[in-house]
Formats: sequence, C-alpha cells, structure tokens
Amino acid sequence: MVGLSSGEKQFIQGGIAQDLRCDGRKRLTYRPIYVETGVIPQANGSARIRMGATDVIASVKAELGKPSSLQPDKGKVFIHIDCSPTAEPAFEGRGGEELSAELSVALQCCLLGGKSGAGAAIDLSSLVVVEGKNCWDLYIDGLVVSSDGNLLDALGAAIKAALSNTGIPRVQVTADASSDEQPEVDISDEEFLQFDTSAVPVIVTLTKVGRHYIVDATSEEESQMSSAVSISVNRQGHICGITKRGGAGLDPSIILDMISVAKHVSEQLLNKLDSEIAAAEAEVEDDES
Amino acid sequence: MAGKATSTPTTYSPSPTSHKTKVPIFSDDRVRPDGRGFNQCRPAFFRTGAVNAASGSAYAEFGNTKVIVSVFGPRESKKAMKYSDIGRLNCNVSFSTFANLVHREGSDHKEYTTILHKALEGAIMLETFPKTTVDVFALVLESGGSAKLPIICFSISISDNFVMHVVGDLSVVISCASLALADAGIMMYDLVASVSLSCLNKNLVIDPILGEENCEDGGLMITCLPSRYEVTQLTVTGEWSTPMLNEGMQLCLDACAELAKIMRSCLVDAAPGSEE
Amino acid sequence: MGLPNASGDLSTEMEVDAFRRLFPLRFYERHLAESIRPDARPLERARDTTIALGAVASANGSALVKIGSTTMLAAIKMEVMTPSLESPDEGCIAIDFHMPPICSPIVRPGRPAEVAPVVSKQLSDTISSSGVVDLKELSLVSGKAAWMAYLDVYCLDADGALFDAALLSAIAALSHLQIPAVAMNDDGKIVLISEEDGQKQETEAVNKEKRRLTLRSIPFSLTCILHKNYILADPTAEEESIMESQVTIVLDSSSQLISLHKAGGSVLANTSAIQDCVALTRQRVKELQSILDESNSAMEVE
Repeated sequence: MVGLSSGEKQFIQGGIAQDLRCDGRKRLTYRPIYVETGVIPQANGSARIRMGATDVIASVKAELGKPSSLQPDKGKVFIHIDCSPTAEPAFEGRGGEELSAELSVALQCCLLGGKSGAGAAIDLSSLVVVEGKNCWDLYIDGLVVSSDGNLLDALGAAIKAALSNTGIPRVQVTADASSDEQPEVDISDEEFLQFDTSAVPVIVTLTKVGRHYIVDATSEEESQMSSAVSISVNRQGHICGITKRGGAGLDPSIILDMISVAKHVSEQLLNKLDSEIAAAEAEVEDDES
Repeated sequence: MAGKATSTPTTYSPSPTSHKTKVPIFSDDRVRPDGRGFNQCRPAFFRTGAVNAASGSAYAEFGNTKVIVSVFGPRESKKAMKYSDIGRLNCNVSFSTFANLVHREGSDHKEYTTILHKALEGAIMLETFPKTTVDVFALVLESGGSAKLPIICFSISISDNFVMHVVGDLSVVISCASLALADAGIMMYDLVASVSLSCLNKNLVIDPILGEENCEDGGLMITCLPSRYEVTQLTVTGEWSTPMLNEGMQLCLDACAELAKIMRSCLVDAAPGSEE
Repeated sequence: MGLPNASGDLSTEMEVDAFRRLFPLRFYERHLAESIRPDARPLERARDTTIALGAVASANGSALVKIGSTTMLAAIKMEVMTPSLESPDEGCIAIDFHMPPICSPIVRPGRPAEVAPVVSKQLSDTISSSGVVDLKELSLVSGKAAWMAYLDVYCLDADGALFDAALLSAIAALSHLQIPAVAMNDDGKIVLISEEDGQKQETEAVNKEKRRLTLRSIPFSLTCILHKNYILADPTAEEESIMESQVTIVLDSSSQLISLHKAGGSVLANTSAIQDCVALTRQRVKELQSILDESNSAMEVE
C-alpha cells in the first residue's frame, strides 16, 4: 500500500486539478512505453512492457486441444494473470490472488469479446484445425513483475505485443480418421503462421481523482482515486469491453464522457504501441540474422 | 462428498432426439422466444426474510432464475484481519447442483463473487460498523436457462462439461443482495439495482435468458443506485459502437429505475405496521 | 423477536431476553418444568410442516419442505449411466446433502459445516436400507443403460432437526419424480422422446411414457432431545445447542423400525425413554404420511 501524508495527497490532487501531475505529465499523457518482444524463448510468443516503474510480461503458449461441443468451429483462449511477490510485499503468499483474479476477469472481459465472437481480440475460428476435432488452445499468461499503477493497460499492451510476436506451428492433417476418432496431425517445426493482431484492442484506464480523470495513473495517484473505468477500444473505434473498478458511483453522463475521451486517447496509444511493437520485432529479427 | 463423486460412473443427460440447428431467434415482429418484447424484463418477484437463521435475507425470482441471499452480521472479523476503522464486506456466490440443465458439482463462483462485492461496496455505509464484517452469501437455486422453454437457439449436447452461467443471474443476485442488506438493517446510501442487456444482430434485448446470451454480439451489465442516479458497476463485453452503447446504457438505467420501484414496494410491504 | 407489546413492560421484556442468553439451560428448565417450550409448543409436539412439490422447474422431481423455519429443498436430476457388472439391471441413486453458507451463521464459504457429511451419510443409508425405491425400476436396458438419479438436498434455513427435514424432502422429491420418456438410438445412446414429434424415428423406445416410481415402505423420521426426564420432539437449533443428547428414529409407513440413531451425549437413554420416542415417532409418521399424501393429491388435481 502507498502511505502518503496529507500534504502529499493534496499535492497530487492539486496537480491533477491543474493539469500538471507530479511527474510533469498532463492528465491525458502516458508515460513512455518500452516494448521488448520474444523475452521467453520457450513460449510461442512473449513480450515485456515497461511504463515507468510498472513492468509486466505476457506470454502466449499454443497447445492442440479439442474444441467444446458447443462451439465446434472455434478454438479456445485462456487468460491468466499472476502477481509476483517481487512487485509488492502484499502479493506474498495468497495476497496477490484477489488482484490477479480481478485483472484476469477484466482482461477476459476486454479481450475475448461477445459470445458470438464479435469484438474479440483473436478470431477464434482461425484457431480451428479440424472442425469439432482439433483446435489450438491459447494460454495467455501475464506476470506482474513490478507494479507502479495502471497494470491493466500495461497487461493489455503486453498481450497485444505478445500476440504479434506469436507464431503458431503449421499443422498438417495426415490421416483423415473416421467420424469418431481423432485425426492424426503433424505439427511442423519450421513453418509458423503469424497472427493477425489488427483486431486486438488497447485498454485505456481512466482514473478519476477529484473531479478530473487521468490516464496511466501511478500507484500514488491510484491511491487517491474514487473510481476507475477501463475501456478497451479497437482500430475501428468500437468499444470492445468496459470494466469499472472502485466502489464509488459515477454519473452515467460522466461514463459516456469517459468513453469518448478513451476513444480519442486510444487512437494515439494504438499508433504508439504499433510502432513500438514493430521496432521491437525488427530488433529481434536483427539479432537473429 | 468428493469421494462419492469420483466413485460414481460417468453419466450423461439424454438429449432431445430432434436436433434443431442454430436458428436466428428473432422474426420481424420484435417478439422473443419466451413471448417478451425486446425492452421487457422478465416478471420480477422479491421477498425479504426468506431465511430465519440470517440477520437479513431475500429471495428473488426472475422468470426461472431463483436466488436466495443471506446477510450475516455485522459480526467479528476473522482473527487474522488487521484493525480497520471501517467495516468489511465479505461476499460469496455459489450455484446449486441443479441450477443448470446438467447436473454438476455445485460450486463457488469466484468471478461473480468479486463483481458482487464491487457492486455493493459503493452503496454500503461501511463506516457504520467499524472493526466488523458483514457477510453476504448468495445461492443460485436455478439459473436463467429455463427448462420449460426449449433452447431453440442451440441444440446443446448436454454431456459436455462446459460450464455455462448466465450473466443475467448475476444481476438478479446483486439486486437481491441489496434487499437482503436492507432487511438486515445495514445502512446503505441507496438500494442497488442491476440489469443486463444483450446485443443480438443490432437488436438490444434487455434481461436476456441463456439461449439469448449464448449468441449475443455484446453484453452489458449495469449496476446502479437508482435514487442517486449513479453507476457503481459496469461491465461491457463484445463489440459496441458508441451510439449503440449509449442507447443500451439508457435502456438499462431506465430498467433499473423500474426494478427499484418493485424492490422498494417489497420493502414497504415487509415493514412492520404495513399489515395493519 | 416480536416487538414488545404495549401492555408488557419493556424492562422485564429485556430481562427475560438477557436471562435467556446468559443462562440458557436454566431458562429452558424453567419452561420444561411447566411442560411447555419457549415457542409455546408442548414438549412432544413437532412444528408445523409443509411440503411443496415441483419447486425446481429444471429438475425431474423436486420438493420444498419446511418444518418450522428449517427449510430443505430437494431436487432430482436423472442422467443415464452404464450399470455396473454386478447389478446390470439396477439403476443408482446418488444422494448428497448440502449446507450452503446462506443457511446458518455457523457455515462459512470454504468451511463446510461439520454436520453436513453426517446428515448426508445418514440420508443415503436410510434411503438405501429402507428399500423405498426398487433400483430395478431405474433400469433401462439391461447391462447397457440405467438411470442415475442425482438427489441433492439443500438446506436453505437451518433451525434444528435437519435430518428429519432432509429425509422428508428427499422422500417428497422421490414421490414427485417423473422419469422422462426416452429411447435408444443407433449409437446406443439414450435420447429423449419429445412429445411434439409424432413421426416414428428409427429409435427403439425403452421407456415409452413418463412414469413415476412406486415407493414402498416410505421412511419417516423424528428427532427427539433427551434431557433429564424430559423428551422434546423436533428440536430447534437453539434447543439442539443447549441440550446435547439426541435420538433419531426412522420408521416406515407400517411403523417398522428402519433405524435408530443416538449420537452419544451426556444423557444415557433407558429403555422406556426409547420406547416413548418410538411412540412419538409413530404418531409423527401418521402426520407426515397424510401431509405427503395431501401434497401429492394436490399436484394431481392441478
């Protein structure tokens, strides 16, 4: 927990009210974002995102599984977040569980889209190998290494970067088995399919402090919040998910205003992130060649 | 309990012989499979004082969704808890083994538990019971997947172990919990009303049931304090354009206001003296 | 906890309440000496009992039972299983008793109540040993398919005599159970026959129409508290917590003893006390039988 004196609290709140935050940012400015991809060689894709002292890692692991009989033409995606005890002493033991669960649910809500698949970050039908028999299961794991606020946005960005770093092995169906049995498949070691990540939204969390709201809050600023709304927006400017944190009530008109601000901010964030990811990917390729 | 479950052989529910394919549920006449209009909620029924052993309780029934919420306390916090000058709220949501169409182990629902906690937290005056805990426990007796209405949207192969709960259940749990809190005499700023909504083929459908939620393009759940006109909890999934989202939110807020009227009249009826 | 009425003095009202909390045993003994219980029942009277059948729409059979404020909800879901090799012509009933945290302040999430598994075991023992259900009736295709009846009893409000209420709800749910009409298809899977499609499919009906179970020798139970020379029938949770020695007697409808359970306690029951308890149970069985019959005939009228 952040322990602040009343003077410090006032300083933070006053700064936000005057559009000049403690670290010199404006209310709607992000901290610089550093992207590294391919940080975990064993995974199919991985990325590390740093924003100030917030440091998160996301990895994507693809495994062949069986589609659920309710949706035979779709693969499955699982998102799980862990909070490392290195990030905060409070996360030791079972302390991080609650936050981990909250972040996992929020990310599922923001990235997995509706039940019909509309607005999903990953097109689940692209994960099918043989309809009703084989599909890819994507296990997306996030790890919070160091926490200084705005974890959800950072994790969202890390997952986006990890997905664009992900290669799914090409699968050849060798023997077309009869209706009951599992078909035999041959997983290629060399050929990988790249993911289309253009539909992956970014998450923008607006934290309300006093009468104003800010993006990319540090944990000191978060300790002063009354509530926070996380909005995920895709390239088309469509809303793909909203979750709210903090117990205090918000007037519906403020929420609508937040949504329009988030849409505006998301555009810049998407561009920034895409170029950072491209740069990081290029770097990885340079190293390899 | 667990021992028995493992020793029993694997079983399945017999599925219907006629396999209906996925049909788009709506025809042009804006009527839903259960006969409701798009903007019509299921009939809601509330009653407080369902469980005598609890400090306060409420039973809610929305169509086939049936929920009981008990409130215990304020009582002593767990020993391990640190001192706190405001009260604590402890929530739990679980499902009965027969809540769904398929028999399965009854279980706690962690996600619903956190959402319920967040939805109520903002409405309760926690400072009125320092150092103590109020427990809010919910049991979903029957889930929104109705047995009488065949699920015409899907032909479900019931042997599947795919856990499916309806978000609509959660909004009933939240509304019911706020009545139970009121019944227990816990101080609140306002009642908490919650309504969910689905977006299906550009249609906004309020208070969806299982079959509808399963093919939704987007889902929206709003929890609000109706008298103060504040939103305490908002969850949106799927893809939404801004005008659609605005319309959906407004619909939900209006429905919450209606729901609050029913909840309030339930409390008035239960108040001592009203019978005379 | 009624409001103090206008005639009563508030201060004495408070004192009685304080006395009850501070010296519960003496409070009760003062009542028992007068042959009356704090809830105005005579010692041997059970609380009002109601049965509502068909409370759970999604189940094949269900019942809601209230004994005083103790509330039990039982529901049966029928699923298909492959019968075991030893008994190819028999189905199975899996009985489970649950005490969710909503039912009592002593149950917390993740920490199940101690009594729940005890009642669960007693319940399945009673139902299997009484032979109320002929498991052969649950058979579909010998050696291939049989019914597995999942009978789950949920305690919604715990105020004493949990086993009595749980058993009554389980029995009522069994009497309400409708076995669905099913057929076996080509793959050897059991499928439902829906009422509307009249066309004969290439399936073989194994159970042509919905039917009910024939229940034989229905077990009913009564729990009594033994305290000194007193016998208190159908105790509340408060009574159970103060006076520990309990006897539970299960008789069937023709008053034959199915089980007798006395779980320790400080009072050692002598023969005459047990006989008194059996006599009370015999009366209670008649009461319960008529309540069950009434609710069943009410269902049929509908």
